[in-house]
Amino acid sequence: MRPTPFEYHRAESLDHALALLAEFGEEGRPLGGGQSLVPMMNLRLARPAHLVDINGLPLDFIEVEGDVLRVGALVRHERYLKEKVIGERFAAFHDAVQWIGHPTIRSRGTIGGSIAHADPSAELPAVAMLYGATIIARSANGERRIAADDFFLGAYMTALEAGEMVVAVEFPLPPAHSAGAFMEISERRSDFATVSVGAQITFSGGSITGARIVATGVELQPIRAIPAEEALSGKPLSACEARAAGRAFAEGIDPISDNVASSEYRRSLAAELTSRAVEKACQRALEAGQE
Amino acid sequence: MQADRPRHVGARVQRVEDTRLLSGTARYIDDIRLPNMLHLSFVRAQYAHAKILEIDTDGLADLAYPTIVFTGKDTAGIAVTAHQDFPEMQFSEQPVLAEDKVRFVGEPVAAVLADDPYDAEDAAELVFIDYDPLTVVGTMAQARDPEMPAIFDNWKGNIFIERQMKGGDLDAAKAEAAHVIRRTFYNQRQTGVPMECRGVVAEYDQASRVLTVWTSTQIPHLVRTYICEELGLPESRVRVVAPDVGGGFGVKGQVFVEEVLVPWLAMKTGRPVKWIEDRREHMMASIHARDHEHTLEAYVSAEGRLLGLKADISVDVGAYSTYPFTAAGDPGMAAKVMPGPYDFQAYEATFRALATNKCPLGTYRGVARPSAVFSLERLMDEIAAELGMDPFEIRLKNVIRDFPYKNVLGFTYDPGSYAESLEKARDLLAADIAEAARSKASSDTRIGVGCALFIEQGAHGTPDFTRRRVPIETGYIAARVEMEPDGEVIVDVGLQNHGQGHETVMAQVAADVLGVDPSNVYVRQGDTLTTPYSVGTWGSRGGPLGGGAVHEASKILAEKLRAIAGHLLQTDKEKIVLYGGKAQVDGAEDRFIEIRKLCRIALRNVDQLPEGMIPGLEAAYSLDGSADGTYANALHAAVVEIDIKTGKMKLRRFLAVEDCGTILNPLIVDGQVRGGIVQGIGSAMLEHFIYDEECQPLSTSFADYLMPLATEIPNIEVHHIETPTPRTPLGAKGLGEGGAIGPAAAIANAVADALGISVLKTPLNGNEIWRLATAIREGE
Ligand SMILES: Cc1cc2nc3c(=O)[nH]c(=O)nc-3n(C[C@H](O)[C@H](O)[C@H](O)COP(=O)(O)OP(=O)(O)OC[C@H]3O[C@@H](n4cnc5c(N)ncnc54)[C@H](O)[C@@H]3O)c2cc1C
Repeated sequence: MRPTPFEYHRAESLDHALALLAEFGEEGRPLGGGQSLVPMMNLRLARPAHLVDINGLPLDFIEVEGDVLRVGALVRHERYLKEKVIGERFAAFHDAVQWIGHPTIRSRGTIGGSIAHADPSAELPAVAMLYGATIIARSANGERRIAADDFFLGAYMTALEAGEMVVAVEFPLPPAHSAGAFMEISERRSDFATVSVGAQITFSGGSITGARIVATGVELQPIRAIPAEEALSGKPLSACEARAAGRAFAEGIDPISDNVASSEYRRSLAAELTSRAVEKACQRALEAGQE
Repeated sequence: MQADRPRHVGARVQRVEDTRLLSGTARYIDDIRLPNMLHLSFVRAQYAHAKILEIDTDGLADLAYPTIVFTGKDTAGIAVTAHQDFPEMQFSEQPVLAEDKVRFVGEPVAAVLADDPYDAEDAAELVFIDYDPLTVVGTMAQARDPEMPAIFDNWKGNIFIERQMKGGDLDAAKAEAAHVIRRTFYNQRQTGVPMECRGVVAEYDQASRVLTVWTSTQIPHLVRTYICEELGLPESRVRVVAPDVGGGFGVKGQVFVEEVLVPWLAMKTGRPVKWIEDRREHMMASIHARDHEHTLEAYVSAEGRLLGLKADISVDVGAYSTYPFTAAGDPGMAAKVMPGPYDFQAYEATFRALATNKCPLGTYRGVARPSAVFSLERLMDEIAAELGMDPFEIRLKNVIRDFPYKNVLGFTYDPGSYAESLEKARDLLAADIAEAARSKASSDTRIGVGCALFIEQGAHGTPDFTRRRVPIETGYIAARVEMEPDGEVIVDVGLQNHGQGHETVMAQVAADVLGVDPSNVYVRQGDTLTTPYSVGTWGSRGGPLGGGAVHEASKILAEKLRAIAGHLLQTDKEKIVLYGGKAQVDGAEDRFIEIRKLCRIALRNVDQLPEGMIPGLEAAYSLDGSADGTYANALHAAVVEIDIKTGKMKLRRFLAVEDCGTILNPLIVDGQVRGGIVQGIGSAMLEHFIYDEECQPLSTSFADYLMPLATEIPNIEVHHIETPTPRTPLGAKGLGEGGAIGPAAAIANAVADALGISVLKTPLNGNEIWRLATAIREGE
């Protein structure tokens, strides 16, 4: 449990970081919170020859500009729990963060690291997909804007190229008549999800006008629950038939199986958590309407 | 005489060792650094069962730093062997470095030494081993299959040993029975997971010809004896030191191949050698635990009286027999303790230790008792369900009430409080039981209450080991108590504190007898240079035997202090009481002499001693356990809440009603009980060491091997009943393991209650609970 030899570089500026990453290519890795990378290096599952420490860069901002929430790559998970705009406008995001590890992990881990690491059950990739976020990636060659739906390609696989790093994630502000919720089942409170489901609905006149539902733990990257999204359209908030939506989603999936959970168990959880997340979102929508 | 005076024994004395342990000033194995030291990194087997064709170390020659490498060819013949002296036993030898074959993933194959631990680990990666894979014996069924190849040459099949234990007339019990209830129960494979992994540092001093071995162990003297016997060294010139040990839980209660190899390497290279185990190595190659399958058949009368019990016990003990409790340790223990707290006189157990290509099985808190109690206590609930009885009622009907009680195997139990603990728990749980009953109407959330009644044989004496014919051979603990000219006390005891709080308790015991304050007592352990020969800490013997030995040795010393005081105060020594730092004449508060003055006289101003008295203040005592040990008892109860749709189970409540005889320190007893229960909750719900079909380990980090965390643990309520045993000087019974013994059974019974079904195996994780709840979920 000692890493293979590597060189440590402290990036002094974003340009410096990008220049270093360009120089090292596949051999180099940005170091964010280190909560995934360092354990993997100790287990020798990751063997980067160069670490580019980006912790000194001014990328720890959370700002609202127009109808976009921009979250800098270095924002630590714990911070969302205190951020007003997350609590008020991004309820599903807020729910999800509480399921990430424990406070010690959350106060170090970064959104850039979580998105780039792309653990199949991680919460933030699912949250990014749920809100239709855009990943802002930079390299020495310039900037790319990648839709979250196109970013996660498989377990620990993303659209990022060698020499590229995440600088921010942009979340469109959900419209006024919207609500969301995030549900998770894991073996222990702090574990990666066995299955998690986030639901975000928009509504008008007491009925659902649109839904976006994202699940982890079904495949090796977060997936959209399209059949459930479709099933909900037009349903009244007070009788949204969430259970049927959950079933519609679960029928069409062939979940992964491992030592934690069988495929059947995951399918059942996907149905149940979809139903619960939708119900909770509808309940929040109704409560908001009463104020 | 001193009954009215406050005593240290029984008081809530804060643990003195915690200052050191919690402030980062403790000295663990990795803190030991010697000049010119070599660091060892192992090349460990990647196959579970394979012939070694070639070991290629050429890559090391190209490195920029020097390395030394040893393989099984260099260490041929040096091994760990552990035999039970029964003709049925097949013997295994675990070479310190694999010779021609590897038998489990993680077995050491080559030892690479370098000046720097990072370099040693990098270099170890450059050793290439060419293997010829052999058929893997991976399951209990495969181990019992006579068609499978034997994993040892000249073995017949893969069974280390199969034997029987019996008593009474089982046929008669069966004939009389109105009900025959048969179930097969299974507990998963686990590992013990002390916070600190293993580690060994060894140094050989040419001048004095003394070999010093520091090792993170529970059994320093046994390690010394084994090293000396295996390497042909005199015990007088080998010193084994256990520094502060960050937990053991039984895992560090074996002599490991690494503990023999590292000293050998230090002698061979002429330089100190250090090996610090990492977590991955620890998980796959220290020792494993549990992995029991029991088929029980109960013969029960129409009224619910247990008339007889038949048991068939199989344990997957892995690839090698471990020293000093052997491969038969777990299955034999399960067979021995299965009769438990119930009154019946017909029993027959067949038990076997099965060899597979897995990490060897060894002792882990509870040793087989968690599994035996799981099976028996689940069976009691199954009987209750079949007869339409309440779980408390069936137990109260069968529980032993008259003591001493001679059980079906001839073991005599000392007095306990079995029925009382059941009644107390039933009262404490009344509201939960009612709520659980009401929840049966729900197909969303179910509440269940489960209990487990058990006894814990501890403080075993030599006859117990003689019967088992195991290499441990004996069970006594020795103590030496010495006073210094300034009145300070040194207690050297053959235990090895690795979290139990011995330093506090032994000081309390000595302080009471010698009339001093515990802060004046320095307790030393774990170093063969300073402590008397003993078997170390395991088997719940610290309090009853270690405490007892300190008590008896202190009494000898107190006798001498009283004699000196009587002489100086011109009174009969019988009239002298030692208390509060003074030796005073009983009933005459103003006639006293300070104890520290007595010490100075005994050691320096010896002209003032009574005529003919030998100078000095030293006493020793060795205390063996009684033939059948002591029997602590406890009732564990769990209240669970199950989300039927998701399988998510929440432990709402966990309580223990325990009786460990005299409570030496309530804070420590509660801590031991709670810590054990947390481990038991891990066994019940989470911890699972998984191998695939090729016996590749899949649970080699904490991401895959799930330990219970604070978020999963409810407040644990501990209630006490105190029934002192006549079998130890202080009335204390063994207590260290009990916490870990009951939870799997209690939680499984709670799940069975909640879901109204049989629960036959652990771990009860989310997927398993979801599976068990299928019928309710689907509305059947
Ligand atoms: C005990 C434990 C429990 C955990 N539980 C959870 C959980 O329940 N849910 C969950 O989601 N996570 C969990 N995590 C992971 C945690 O959230 C990590 O912090 C996160 O996955 C990675 O973030 P990081 O900043 O630590 O990244 P690092 O570990 O520093 O890096 C991870 C990877 O991302 C790359 N990287 C880092 N920053 C960037 C960037 N800006 N651009 C491009 N690449 C980058 C690194 O090169 C590396 O490949 C847990 C971790 C631990 C140790």
